[in-house]
Amino acid sequence: MAVISLNDVSVEIPIYEVAGASLRKAILERAVGGRFGRSGAHVTVSALRNVTFEASDGDRIALVGNNGSGKSTLLRVLSDVYPPTSGTVRVQGHVSPMFDATLGMSMDATGMENIWLCGKIWGLSHTQIEESIDDIVAFTELGNYLDIPVRTYSAGMIMRLAFAIATVRNPEILLLDEIIGVGDAAFFDKAFTRLQGIVKRSRILFVASHADAILKLLCNKAIWLKNGEMIAYGDIETVIASYRTVTA
Amino acid sequence: MSQHLHTLDTVAHSKGVRTERTRLFAPAVREILGTVSPDLWAGMRAWPLWTMLAWNDIRQRYRRSVLGPFWITLSMGVFILLLGVIYSRIFAVDIATYLPYLTLGYVLWGFISQTTMDSCGAFQEGERIIKQIKLPYSLYVLRVVWRNFIVFLHTIVIFIPIAIIFGVKPGLTGLLAIPALMLLYINQLWVALALAVVATRFRDVMQIITTAVQIMLFATPVMWPVSSLGRSTIIAEINPLYHIIDLVRAPMLGTAPSALSWLVSAGTAVAGSVLAILLLRRGSRRIVFWL
Repeated sequence: MAVISLNDVSVEIPIYEVAGASLRKAILERAVGGRFGRSGAHVTVSALRNVTFEASDGDRIALVGNNGSGKSTLLRVLSDVYPPTSGTVRVQGHVSPMFDATLGMSMDATGMENIWLCGKIWGLSHTQIEESIDDIVAFTELGNYLDIPVRTYSAGMIMRLAFAIATVRNPEILLLDEIIGVGDAAFFDKAFTRLQGIVKRSRILFVASHADAILKLLCNKAIWLKNGEMIAYGDIETVIASYRTVTA
Repeated sequence: MSQHLHTLDTVAHSKGVRTERTRLFAPAVREILGTVSPDLWAGMRAWPLWTMLAWNDIRQRYRRSVLGPFWITLSMGVFILLLGVIYSRIFAVDIATYLPYLTLGYVLWGFISQTTMDSCGAFQEGERIIKQIKLPYSLYVLRVVWRNFIVFLHTIVIFIPIAIIFGVKPGLTGLLAIPALMLLYINQLWVALALAVVATRFRDVMQIITTAVQIMLFATPVMWPVSSLGRSTIIAEINPLYHIIDLVRAPMLGTAPSALSWLVSAGTAVAGSVLAILLLRRGSRRIVFWL
């Protein structure tokens, strides 16, 4: 049983411009006794404001909203990358984020070496990687290319390899951020089938995307975010319909 | 702060089959470190991941080169030989005692200085991972220290031919180098942890450290023997870097290090670890925003 519950969660992201991050300013602020404003005060962006919702087994939630509406921030809160500034986050179940499929890929290492490297970073155990190597090799169709450095690959080949490794996991809670829609058309179909496989294996899914058609295929619910606030949470058709009437 | 129940799971995952190894740690250590610094404890337990990342860093740097990391060995070896011949005349010391002394000092200095400078960028190096997957922050620092320790193991081999040629016989005293090396590693680890946190927040720290490291090479008895200070040996003795270097160097040359060196190095290890753990605790909810 996987459960996620957010209660009144807000995230303030402090912005450190070049001057702000420098030691000189910190010393100056200390020395002049806060004439330049309270020491330790920064410009902050409130990326998420008072978000409250619950999700449990079987929920496939689409995150919709304009750029900068807080979709990625919400995903980062769920993956425990961002600690909330206030409010509580309760997560029961293992969270597998997949925001950038090529994470951890080393350009100078061979494809096979990257399977191990990325697999380990994704949290796969030695045996899990060993057991899924055949599956990865088959999916990528890279054959002998797997024995030469990834830097010689085309962008599409890199994507295929990265995607194959990233989708090996058996996540309880899966978080996807706009990774769908990369590669050529033939690969897209194949990748989408594989993606549906990992989605089926997961208990709870969150997907942030601007592609309504894909969201409707993968999800049954939706959260609409605007300027960091949750405008609506409910059935996907209803939420997307009202979101589109406002933005269209 | 423990709302996120899955954090440790991620680590448990990456440990894979080799879980039994952690049982070698005394349960007391687990208890204390797990409570005082869950991040550091979880980071240490994820050793299969950071050792692999460290190896990959090295292979990436030397891929397609014939000698690989032994390039550092070679360049350091040439440097030491040349400097050894010239400086032994300047300081008017026997080359048979000076060259082994210089070799050890310089190789150890290489480890200390490179790790210290690298650690300032430990979190920036891992930025892509940090912003996507929650792993213990200490993992990125453990990776930097381990990476440099591998390089150190490549360079310390210079000492073997030097010791044979000049007839250095460490004897049983030489075994003291092992606990000394462990103390050096612990000291280097806390320095790296503390610097990684501070330098991520204040980007000028990296420049300050680079300069400081360069200066300290000349202020520490690495290239010059302490005896050349005459009666001003206090200059060496107030320098903790001298104590930690001599702790490893002296036994390998066949003399027991002074009690003061043990005391200072153990003292900095304890006090520094406390400082590093406090900084890590303070930073653990902020580091991601500093990147």
